[in-house]
Amino acid sequence: MTDKKPDNFDEVVASVDIDLVSEQKNERMPQRRYQRRRQGTFVPDYVDWKDIDYLRRFIPERGKIMPRRISGINAKDQRRIAQAIKRARSMALIPFVTD
Amino acid sequence: MANKRVYEIMYIVAPETADDDLTKINETIVQVIESQGGTIANTDNMGRRKLAYPIDKKTEGHYVLLEVEGTGKEILELERRMRVNDAIIRFITVRVDEDRKTADKQKAKRDARQVRRNVASNRGGANQESEQESAGQNQ
Repeated sequence: MTDKKPDNFDEVVASVDIDLVSEQKNERMPQRRYQRRRQGTFVPDYVDWKDIDYLRRFIPERGKIMPRRISGINAKDQRRIAQAIKRARSMALIPFVTD
Repeated sequence: MANKRVYEIMYIVAPETADDDLTKINETIVQVIESQGGTIANTDNMGRRKLAYPIDKKTEGHYVLLEVEGTGKEILELERRMRVNDAIIRFITVRVDEDRKTADKQKAKRDARQVRRNVASNRGGANQESEQESAGQNQ
């Protein structure tokens, strides 16, 4: 299709497109970032993989390990807790999947 | 480095083994460890527990926890035996001395910081009292 472009085609394109797209992105992003970020769950220095009462708060009903953006703990503690949960799972103290 | 490695060993024994068989298994394991030169620091017979998922179609198991000190050789021999034994359905060995050392160091650092805060607040005025309160709440 060879449509005849209007004379101000380039100007229209430049003024409309980019602003719209970036506005939409900005509107979306702040809402997603502040979604359910809890503060200050205390993590002890040594995470004991046998202490399932403590580990249970990081495992919601489905049995999956809670991601950091919901539990709000820092990366080092998240790795420790994940390792402890995996050990406890291997020893059948915590299930892999709950139904 | 001296042989100060500390391990935690937990194993599950099949539930239908009789109690005296269970004690026999425990004693064998203790013997294996001590013959290889390790020492047992703690034992904890956690008793029968429901498993979180069936292992070998069984839903319960007898949990036993040991804490062992020594070099690594007894763990090698022990794991070999546990793999062969059919009554032991699962086991895990975790080395804990490094983690405990770092945990103790962090605790010592935290306590030292707390002491310093207390000293500073005792010397200072009202502003530093509130700082001590917030430190106490964080603890």
